[in-house]
Amino acid sequence: MIISAPAREHNPRLRAVGTIIASGLLVLVVALWRVQVVRGGDYDNKQENQSLRRIRVPAARGEIVDRNGVILANNRPSYDVAIYLDQLGHVSKKTNIVRVAQANLGVMSAALGMPLTITDNDVLSHYERRGPLPLPVWRDLRPEQVAAFAERASNLPGADLIVMPVRQYPQGPLAAHLLGYVGRADENDEDEIEKFYYYQPDRVGRQGVERACDEYLRGSPGGRTIRVNPAGFVAEDLGEKEAEQGGRVTLTIDVRLQRIVEKELAAAPSSDGKELSGAVVLLDVRTGEVLAMASLPSFDPNIFNPGTPAQTINAVFNDPGHPMLNRATSARYPPGSTFKPITLLAGLASGAISPQDTVTCSGSIVIGNWQKHPFHCWNHSGHGPLNAYSAITESCDVWFYEEGMKTGVDAITKMAAEFGLGQPTGFDIGNEIRGLVPTPAWKREQQGTQWWEGDTAQLSIGQSYLLVTPLQMACVAATFADRGTALHPYVVQRIETADGQVVHEGQLDVRARLDATPQQIELVRHAMLGAVQESYGTAHRAAVKGLSVAGKTGTAQYKVAGQESTRDRAWFIGFAPYDQPQVAISVLIEAARDGSHTAAAVASAIFAQVFGKEGERSGAVEGRVYED
Amino acid sequence: MKIKYYTELVRRMDWLLFSAMAALAVASVLFIYSASYHGPGQPIRDFYKMQMVWFVVGLLIYLVVSLVDYRLICQWATVWYAVAIGLLVLVLMTGQMIYGARRWLGWHGFGIQPAETAKLATLLTVSYYLFHHTLQSRRQLKTVWVTVVMMAVPFVLIMLEPDLGSALVLIPICFGLMFVAGVRGKHLALAVALGIVLAGVGLPIMWKLKENRTGRRDYQKDRLTVFFHRDYDPLGAGWNLNQSLIAVGSGGMTGKGYLQGTQNLLGYLPRSVTPNDFLFSVIAEEEGFIGSVVIILLYAVLLFSGLRIAANARDRLGMLLATGVVVMLFFHIFINVGMTIGLMPVTGLPLPLLSYGGSFVLASMTALGLLQNVWIHRRIY
Repeated sequence: MIISAPAREHNPRLRAVGTIIASGLLVLVVALWRVQVVRGGDYDNKQENQSLRRIRVPAARGEIVDRNGVILANNRPSYDVAIYLDQLGHVSKKTNIVRVAQANLGVMSAALGMPLTITDNDVLSHYERRGPLPLPVWRDLRPEQVAAFAERASNLPGADLIVMPVRQYPQGPLAAHLLGYVGRADENDEDEIEKFYYYQPDRVGRQGVERACDEYLRGSPGGRTIRVNPAGFVAEDLGEKEAEQGGRVTLTIDVRLQRIVEKELAAAPSSDGKELSGAVVLLDVRTGEVLAMASLPSFDPNIFNPGTPAQTINAVFNDPGHPMLNRATSARYPPGSTFKPITLLAGLASGAISPQDTVTCSGSIVIGNWQKHPFHCWNHSGHGPLNAYSAITESCDVWFYEEGMKTGVDAITKMAAEFGLGQPTGFDIGNEIRGLVPTPAWKREQQGTQWWEGDTAQLSIGQSYLLVTPLQMACVAATFADRGTALHPYVVQRIETADGQVVHEGQLDVRARLDATPQQIELVRHAMLGAVQESYGTAHRAAVKGLSVAGKTGTAQYKVAGQESTRDRAWFIGFAPYDQPQVAISVLIEAARDGSHTAAAVASAIFAQVFGKEGERSGAVEGRVYED
Repeated sequence: MKIKYYTELVRRMDWLLFSAMAALAVASVLFIYSASYHGPGQPIRDFYKMQMVWFVVGLLIYLVVSLVDYRLICQWATVWYAVAIGLLVLVLMTGQMIYGARRWLGWHGFGIQPAETAKLATLLTVSYYLFHHTLQSRRQLKTVWVTVVMMAVPFVLIMLEPDLGSALVLIPICFGLMFVAGVRGKHLALAVALGIVLAGVGLPIMWKLKENRTGRRDYQKDRLTVFFHRDYDPLGAGWNLNQSLIAVGSGGMTGKGYLQGTQNLLGYLPRSVTPNDFLFSVIAEEEGFIGSVVIILLYAVLLFSGLRIAANARDRLGMLLATGVVVMLFFHIFINVGMTIGLMPVTGLPLPLLSYGGSFVLASMTALGLLQNVWIHRRIY
């Protein structure tokens, strides 16, 4: 072998040097084996960890449309001026970045004539958390600002116009409470944060359909994988997984009806000239579909986008009128006389009373030995002798005190429960409060006092501790309309994925059937028809010429803390047409000027337009003022 | 007549040694190109072209050094030594300050590192000195002291630049030469012990003085700290070692492919020093364990050819020269490769033939020329 040719000089020390060198090289080979082969995988991971970055790309949020496909919520482009920190010349050390960025931003601000709103801290935290992504500096520019930027862009290194999707509600505040709004997610999925080095959060639904259908609307996020250099800036794009657009949600509401309902509710006269507060629910009695749902005061969900200054948003949240509250489902009120049909049906169904029972109303009644505090009828001069039919049409309190006590609290609360009071209606987008149907057990527990006859009398006319939501009362009206079948109300008609696959379909869902005979139910329905159609009926202002409207008004008095006078909460519940009912309604106005007449008039205007009977409204019948 | 003489000499050259050297030179140009490649469309620095020029110049020097009888060269040893010392003094006085050290004597963009000439001159001089002593006198303690002093002068001057790595190379060269020259083992052990004590006392004192003067922690101290505590300051002093380890390790068995080394492409391997100090990391990342072993094998061919040449030299001077060259090359290889995988502390010692740098390419080729010289002028029976 050439390498180890026989040595001329036999020098053992030379051999020793050879041995040392051989072992040295062997050590290197073994060490390289350990680093490259044995632990190669570890180093490969380290290498990936320090240079690979996964960026989460949120999906475009799905659309919300009404039953006819009219767009209620979609996305519009927002033109933002952003800077790419890695394009601001040569940047290598973290400490430089803020100074370099601020210098550039100052130039941009001067060139565009727009004040700077981002701070050094914003720059630093963006650099640390989302280095290679553009940092938005001015959001949602107006067209002339976009033009101004475009003219100067070539002189502004690192600046770029980026287009970000922003949630848009083309109908403005229309149905705002039903649709809800979107906000930045506070709770991000920890797993996802681990997975993605740069986490761009989704906008999440915060109320209404946006919240209830959030998982379908959100879609699934995509991702981009990039390689970064030691300064953290993009060196290479390794691939992208496209985000999957969110699904499309079709609602049962009809924009035309919703607009009518909101317009008519807003037009109602309110006391002391304040902004009107109230709610209307319009249901399709045949299916349980919500055709329209309005709550006033309202808000514009378009303000909840990243470009809106925080003060504007806070002003809405802190408004003493609570515009964000959906009064149709999330506020509770005593139902007043709109409860009387339930009391009557309870009495008939339990057999405690008969339709022929006649009570003579003298304007008041003494209950137990409370001679000093008789229970009054709203008509202090008295209705005279009345049967069940007239008791409803004229809404006599005394008749209901007597007959209600005869029926008993148990039968009344049982019937109230059958109508779904005191429990959520099962409305598909939720956010409901249950209301309250008081019972003797409840009173003992909550108030620590006995239930007495007077409580039953108060309950019979919808006072006492009874609390309901406008949606619940719309369901009560629908149940009368549908002759005793109670349906779950719903507003989501259909949810489809982006590729058109239907994942959910709202459908008729029977909640209960009333425990009463058809004759008994018909008798109450007939009385409700009379309340609207008879000229002396307390609900006659709900009448529409050419349409058989049935219904019941109600007024609940409430005291405002610190004020002597009481205010009226005006109610109307009803349905039409009488024979082949299509829609049911409930109207609530928090501080109505003319009590229940206001609510009945709103319902009349709505019915007239829903059924195309405009111009044929009976109009206000002048004469004796009816109260109940 | 003359021509015939020289063709005969060329015919006697060791072609295996030459081939290994040529292969390393080709690898050098290829991987310096790769180290300068930072992605498509990115400018590539001219290092690889410069390296080719150095190899061409080096080849001429190699031929001259191989063919002129080494005994003739060594007769001038004192002159070489004096010139080398002179250059070292000159660089300390007029050298350009780069990265806090005066290592370069330069004019018009070209420069040489006197430390490299000093290594060779010391090797020649010490060999010549040891060759001139009888076995009897070589076994005296005095020989050790004289050798140590001959080494100490350039050692101290190089340390003053400062260039710790290059200075340290002198130690194995001189001790290796004394060892194969037959100096007594216990004398050598005494010198080694003394050296260790000197280093143990001297280095900390030197660092302390420098820190007091500059107000900064000495980078050599940092490098040693990193060597013993791998997690020390991973984004600062420990960066190079950690990134080099990741580069070498992530190469795995077969590597990522030529020009595909992400550690280098993205700049995790420090761009300023990769073509010189961390070229092996680039090779190991792109060609994997297999590539690393091929490089080590090429070096093994150089080193063991050198030892064979030493064993077959016509006289003791040839044997000493060849051994000195082998020890010098080995020390560079072991320190540099060991440094890339954390086996050795980070020092600026380049890899013979592979690393970018004119002075060291020329020095390495001169050293290999000496080896060839000893082989060509061996006695043939």
